[in-house]
Amino acid sequence: MSEIGPRDLSVSSTTTEMNRTGSWKYIRPVYHDRVAPCNERCPVGIDIEGYMNLLREDRIDEAVDLLLRENPMPAVTGRVCDHPCEQACNRCGLDGAVAIHAVERMLGDRALERPYPAAPLRQREQVGVVGSGPAGLACAYHLARLGYPVTVFEAAREPGGMLRLGIPEYRLPRAVLDLQLDRIRELGVNFVCGVRLGGDLQWNVLSWFDAVFMAPGAHLPRPLGVPGEGHARVRQGLDFLADVNGGQRPDVGGRVLVIGGGNTAMDCARTARRLGGAVSVMYRRTRAEMPAIAEEIQDAEAEGVSLEFLAAPVAFHPLDAGVLDAEFERMVLGEPDASGRRSPVPTGERFRTRADLVLLATGENASIESLPLNVDIERGAIRVDELGTTTVRAFFAGGDAAGHERTVAHALGAGKRAALGIDRYLRQARGERELRDPVQTRVASGNLSMTRWRGDDPVRRVDPVEEVVGPADVNLTHFAPAARHADHKPNGETATTFVEVNLGLSAADALAEAHRCFNCGVCNECELCLIYCADVAIRRTEGGARFEIDLDYCKGCGVCAEECPRGAISMTREGL
Amino acid sequence: MAIRKVIIGNHAVSWGVQLARAEVIAAYPITPQTQVVEALSEMCASGDLDARFIKVESEHSAMAACIGASATGARAFTATSSQGLALMHELLHWASGGRHPIVMADINRALGPGWNIWTDQTDSLAQRDTGWVQLYCETNQEVLDTTIMAFKLAERVNLPVMLVLDAFYLSHTAEPVEIPDIAEIDAFLPKRDAKLKLDTSDPHSFGALVKPDAYMEMRLALQQAMREARVVFDEIEEEWEQQFGRRYGAVEADYTEDAEIVIVAAGTMVSTARHVVEQRRAAGERIGLVKVKMFRPFPTETLRAALRGVAKVAVLDRNLSPGHGGIFAEEIRSGLYEVPPDDRPKVFGYVLGLGGRDIRPETIGSIIDRTRAAAAPEREDLWVGVEA
Repeated sequence: MSEIGPRDLSVSSTTTEMNRTGSWKYIRPVYHDRVAPCNERCPVGIDIEGYMNLLREDRIDEAVDLLLRENPMPAVTGRVCDHPCEQACNRCGLDGAVAIHAVERMLGDRALERPYPAAPLRQREQVGVVGSGPAGLACAYHLARLGYPVTVFEAAREPGGMLRLGIPEYRLPRAVLDLQLDRIRELGVNFVCGVRLGGDLQWNVLSWFDAVFMAPGAHLPRPLGVPGEGHARVRQGLDFLADVNGGQRPDVGGRVLVIGGGNTAMDCARTARRLGGAVSVMYRRTRAEMPAIAEEIQDAEAEGVSLEFLAAPVAFHPLDAGVLDAEFERMVLGEPDASGRRSPVPTGERFRTRADLVLLATGENASIESLPLNVDIERGAIRVDELGTTTVRAFFAGGDAAGHERTVAHALGAGKRAALGIDRYLRQARGERELRDPVQTRVASGNLSMTRWRGDDPVRRVDPVEEVVGPADVNLTHFAPAARHADHKPNGETATTFVEVNLGLSAADALAEAHRCFNCGVCNECELCLIYCADVAIRRTEGGARFEIDLDYCKGCGVCAEECPRGAISMTREGL
Repeated sequence: MAIRKVIIGNHAVSWGVQLARAEVIAAYPITPQTQVVEALSEMCASGDLDARFIKVESEHSAMAACIGASATGARAFTATSSQGLALMHELLHWASGGRHPIVMADINRALGPGWNIWTDQTDSLAQRDTGWVQLYCETNQEVLDTTIMAFKLAERVNLPVMLVLDAFYLSHTAEPVEIPDIAEIDAFLPKRDAKLKLDTSDPHSFGALVKPDAYMEMRLALQQAMREARVVFDEIEEEWEQQFGRRYGAVEADYTEDAEIVIVAAGTMVSTARHVVEQRRAAGERIGLVKVKMFRPFPTETLRAALRGVAKVAVLDRNLSPGHGGIFAEEIRSGLYEVPPDDRPKVFGYVLGLGGRDIRPETIGSIIDRTRAAAAPEREDLWVGVEA
């Protein structure tokens, strides 16, 4: 039997290393970490992709710390945020978005189990915060972490603002909110409750502070302007919610009408339902235009709330014994308005329906009645720039009183941006030079990043670029379908108690969701590039983390960039 | 412990590949082959077979993946049929020229058009000159045994081996099969030990430019490997028989010693011919049978020995080389030409059963009768059972 030799099958006698195939290329691959769409879309500016990547390796404590860098209250947002991150998730193109909201809740609950990372006092300047809703709390939290002494003033008896007054217990248990506030208090934030701006708290007192952040919220009733709305059985929805959230259990009578289609309307409806009412939500547009979170609408209906569309109130007629006759006009949908939603157009057709209680949830005006005249107001809100800067020196503002996107997440984002603005303002006043502009910390076109401002990102990123990874940039063929875990687990009770409705995901299921994350734009060392490189020109770095490309042999074919599942490799002509 | 199971021919291939511990399987589905790799994919998924299963976008890619895997020293397998095999054609040359001991199962299926999924040997025979060993099978037991022996043969001589079985008559027909214990197979077929393989720590080019001054020597080495394959096959069968008690032979000759007419066939029609020959023998007719298992390398000497001195040979071809005739008949005529005229049989060629048309005992009976009646073969092979 003859032994096979190199000449039998044309094997080179010398090494092929002398053939530097790298000389053929006119483009070359580079590892560039890019921005995941969830990170860009998050109004808070959380590094969602970053904590998912840590969770993939079961590094839960580090994931919690990363999350807390941008979000002071993940246990709250994990329950009440409308999670636009999930709409942006590139996994929507495969088998449904990663359940980011539920993962955040799991991490948020984990964060409450121990003190937040300590924030030693390092600065002298005193900062005052007016309002202890999510915007005020976020500003106070971030400033405390930056080392400032902060005092928060709150008109109500307890801090929390709309979180406490507006959001029902079945969505956000008070125990969770109180623990969350404890964590912020432990950072050294001083709370002064029961003082109202313009009342016990006079404007000139605030000028003693080196900087002030104003986040008074939006609590002022916005009149409908229809006859009979002053009737005792026609109530502001927020007042009603504040009563119930404060422990009262008012008699709602038999039939309750809720006017509006937003989250306050859903909260009113489900709260009234828990108090025994037969509840109908009357909305002047249709389901598609409702601003409420979709899950809230579904839950309301599941609990027996009925929805009536294309009905706008025109008058409330008092009847005997405190009962009302509510009169509505039938609407049709017309052209889209400034919000992009189709607007309601009156038809002239009217109808009446009896009600024991009417709750108005059609929006509120910013609580700006006690501000001095030199604070500029624009379209009913305090005029601010992105960093919360007002027209008055040292006074910053944010939250519902200064913005038009009134969600908890937007308020948290605004409070954080103001903290960046205040930090820069105070440091400039101190004489620090060469401070960069905080807007340079922007995550693509999303929110600003506290981590970038501090310059101590624990997540190592390789030559990051501010480009968002879109659906076309991920390679779905490398991901096996894995069904999304239902992130909405009903507690099984009927709508008669104020016990938390949604049980959330178990830690195990939440971790499984983290494994569904594509880690868009950020190399997680999956090694596919290493496998696909036909020239074996990719290898691990000396330290073992990440990869390097041997440009002597990379011939610029682009297969690595094409196959990278998460868009972390791009082709460039630079440097050639 | 060996077990006995009733399995279809396709799964006999799968079992054989599992027992042979193939390391890389790359395949694209095609009827009637799909069950072969379907079962293998399940074995890979369940962990019963520790192999990398690569789904590919075409048979061309399947063979390319097998070549790549084989070049690194892995034991590689694929399976295909008909159009799929035709699509692989370019890479079949590359597999043999690169001396990659890949094993492939081809389930004989007719080529379209007219679109036809039934059995026909033309697909494998059309790859005659690609440098692959070709082994045809008659029963499911033979399929399983041949699959395992094919790996050993391939790796001994560094040539790719194609095992061939009829669509449906074998691929989808269940028969009892003895499945050896994997420990016994491990003793028979150790892990592949490739002498020349791709190694990224010592990179060499494989299959690069070879100038006229060296190409012929490469082809000669290939031809010598084919010659060796003929010898090594018998050695491997001998070893198999000692361990498992079964052997098939590159050529099997029954009742040829005193035969006036010998039927020559390959594949499942051999079984039908056996039945007819037994009946005729019982009736006192001197009819013999030759089964051709090995088509490449062509076992010329063995066939000459079996057929020398027989008056008439009737070759059954379930295939067609258009413009010439049945391919087995053509090869046998060529192989017998050097037999001295007195001992040289007259070769009658019959084309039949194309595209899965049934070959019944009476079909073969009519061929025997016709061969006996004819003084000499027709100028062209006769077509049996066709509408005029």
